[in-house]
Amino acid sequence: MTALAFTLKAAPKQRVDVAPLIPERLAGKRLADIGALQLQTGNRQIRADELFTVEGDDASRLVFRGATGKLDFVGKGMSQGEIHVEGDAGSYLGMHLKGGTITVDGSVDAYAACELKNGTLLIRGNAGDFLGASLPGNKKGMAGGVVIVKGNVGDRAGDHLRRGAILIEGDAGSYLGSRMTAGTIAVLGRVGDHLGYAMTRGTLLLAQAPRVIPATFNDCGSHTLGFIPLLLKGFADLETRFADLPDRFQRVRRYAGDLCSLGKGEILVAL
Amino acid sequence: MLIKLRGGKVYDPAHGIDGEARDIYIRDGRIVGPQPETPTHEYDLRGKVVMAGAIDMHTHIGGGKVTIARNLLPEDHRGDPVASEGLMRAGCGHAAPSTLTTGYRYAELGYTAGFEPAVLPINARQAHMEMADVPMLDVGGYAMLGSDDFLLRLMASGTEQEVINNYVAWTLHSAQAIGVKVVNPGGISAFKFNQRSLDLDEAHRYYQVTPRQVLQTLARALVELGVPHPLHVHGCNLGVPGNLDTTLRTIAGIEGLPMHLTHIQFHSYGTEGDRKFSSGAAQIAEAFNRNKNITIDVGQILFGQTVTASGDSQRQFANVGHANPNKWVCMDIECDAGCGVVPFKYRDKNFVNALQWCIGLEIFLLAEDPWRIFLTTDHPNGAPFMSYPHLIRLLMDKSFRNDRLATINPDAAALSTLGGIEREYSLYEIAIMTRAGAARLLGLRDRGHLGEGAAADITVYTEDEDKEKMFGKPDYVFKDGELVVRNGEVVHVVWGNLHTVKPEFDRASIESRLKPYFDRYHTMKMDNFIIRDWEIEGDGRSKIMVHPCEGRG
Repeated sequence: MTALAFTLKAAPKQRVDVAPLIPERLAGKRLADIGALQLQTGNRQIRADELFTVEGDDASRLVFRGATGKLDFVGKGMSQGEIHVEGDAGSYLGMHLKGGTITVDGSVDAYAACELKNGTLLIRGNAGDFLGASLPGNKKGMAGGVVIVKGNVGDRAGDHLRRGAILIEGDAGSYLGSRMTAGTIAVLGRVGDHLGYAMTRGTLLLAQAPRVIPATFNDCGSHTLGFIPLLLKGFADLETRFADLPDRFQRVRRYAGDLCSLGKGEILVAL
Repeated sequence: MLIKLRGGKVYDPAHGIDGEARDIYIRDGRIVGPQPETPTHEYDLRGKVVMAGAIDMHTHIGGGKVTIARNLLPEDHRGDPVASEGLMRAGCGHAAPSTLTTGYRYAELGYTAGFEPAVLPINARQAHMEMADVPMLDVGGYAMLGSDDFLLRLMASGTEQEVINNYVAWTLHSAQAIGVKVVNPGGISAFKFNQRSLDLDEAHRYYQVTPRQVLQTLARALVELGVPHPLHVHGCNLGVPGNLDTTLRTIAGIEGLPMHLTHIQFHSYGTEGDRKFSSGAAQIAEAFNRNKNITIDVGQILFGQTVTASGDSQRQFANVGHANPNKWVCMDIECDAGCGVVPFKYRDKNFVNALQWCIGLEIFLLAEDPWRIFLTTDHPNGAPFMSYPHLIRLLMDKSFRNDRLATINPDAAALSTLGGIEREYSLYEIAIMTRAGAARLLGLRDRGHLGEGAAADITVYTEDEDKEKMFGKPDYVFKDGELVVRNGEVVHVVWGNLHTVKPEFDRASIESRLKPYFDRYHTMKMDNFIIRDWEIEGDGRSKIMVHPCEGRG
């Protein structure tokens, strides 16, 4: 059985909503039926086979080949199976994901892992703003699962985060973990300003000291926290450098905040 | 062009016509008498029900708080997208729909006019622009007064009624309004001075003015100016158990002046029973039946998700704990007032919500004179206007009502007298409440009826046992003589007009007081505050209809 592959015939000019192309909705369908699925692009609908060449027979594994940043909603609401994107993906990658794995070889746009419930997202390139956030106006962001970004992420990563882990191996933008209510965000690279803005609970784990610790966080001194090596060990079977770095976080400095909010969150900076 | 509507069963309460088969002729957007010539178009309406276009006399369809509600609830819009289709442009929204969707959906229910009850004069320009973007409907607004610094200063310094009359008239002109509404009289201002409630005879901490005085002063001003629509009152203590007593004192306190009490369901709560929350519908209805100077609309709640948007920042702030989903906005608006937007989910298994549902229906059914009571849900505060057909069925169908009653919170149902009320509204009474009465209340002489000279706003229904089905999908809707809806679907998009009153007053004397006041206290100059006619009519879509100020019809 070979993975069900969607190869872009040409780079789309308009954004394409590929939400209908997830394993559970394609299981048991013939290639012709899959090709006949209607996809929204710009202000009209077109057949999937006008955009993609469709081949393969294992609907539990999907591959998007030659993918560009115009493909939005990849894997939306998926609860099982695998999606592999060869190339870039657009906005809302893995939105409302309930299970399974999505891997993107390139970079993705804003709102990746939006309100993600469970499952794993691996982005080998960069991610845009609002990684793991909630939709605008909603109060609950990502609520489980693991998101790994090998490159950099934009602003507001983890906005309204509730549960789960976001592991960023590059740099993070401003307002990292804003308004988060729980969960963990770890960053190997540099972080922008206003980190933990209005966070109530949860953990920001930083390998490098930020330029400025916000004034509304309180220095709680240096600690050896036994849970950190255990936490990182838990990522051992995932493709992330964090799994190999338990020593890096032997000892951390803890800052509690945001004191303008509930103040039960923490920024942990490796020493 | 002559249009003939042949042989429909006509319900035209303004002329006492109760379901008689009649022909109606339309020429140039107006209803005319029988014409000898062959009509250009003829509609065979034999067996169909014909009424004037419905008028919603209290619906929040424009202005700052509606915009805030839209901003606050993107999920309301995401959850109900409306694609562009045929003549209709795209839109969205259930509780706080977009302007275009609001207009299309109202028309599809047979409505041809809607009146925004809370136009804050300082924000009136935005409210009018938003209402101008609502297609299909004639619109109008009630200017909000009563918590504005200028009026309270005048009253605190004991200024004579004449000056206040000029100020009220000037505001009606400047805000291009058709009436005056007072929201929690003085209470919105009191909130800014840290008073968390203000009862009818409680003095404002700073101005020492009581709500009773505000109501009497404004009601008198409107009578003396001859404005047809009586003072539109959202009373004190909205939603507070025991506010029944406040409402009864408000009715007595107006001393015979005409007064409209809006969304009275929210003002009819007693404190009896184990949970200290009970129905005051019987006492309210009794007072209503006795006091002929009082008109009311109900503000019925219906179960489901909605959003409450009100100028009453004081009471809305007290309710933010009930916000569902848990987010809200309360704000102060310059020297004039405030507003509060709190999303709400009314649940049929919840004791309080279920009893609110009963109280609204009890008031509908115990109020004897349909000419003085109006069908509203205070859209979107009690429920979105899309639920009107359901509400009409509850009023017209006792067994349906009792079936619903059996499904709600049993403790609430047991406390209510609703199950024992036999009354069912007739089509004639529905036509009074939603057409003839509403037009008379607002002083719209050429709307709400089907006599010669009336504007040809006409709705045609197919009679059905299921009144929800009947009122949910009219066969035809005509707006100013043009067919705009066929079989419940928009077939032609038109733009409605703006209804206003322009009472006579002494402009020079009041502006000599207002100009320095604006210069000193306001964010805009007096000249910019005044909305000129060309701002409404300039794009050629809407016209301003000025109704005469000759007192109540």
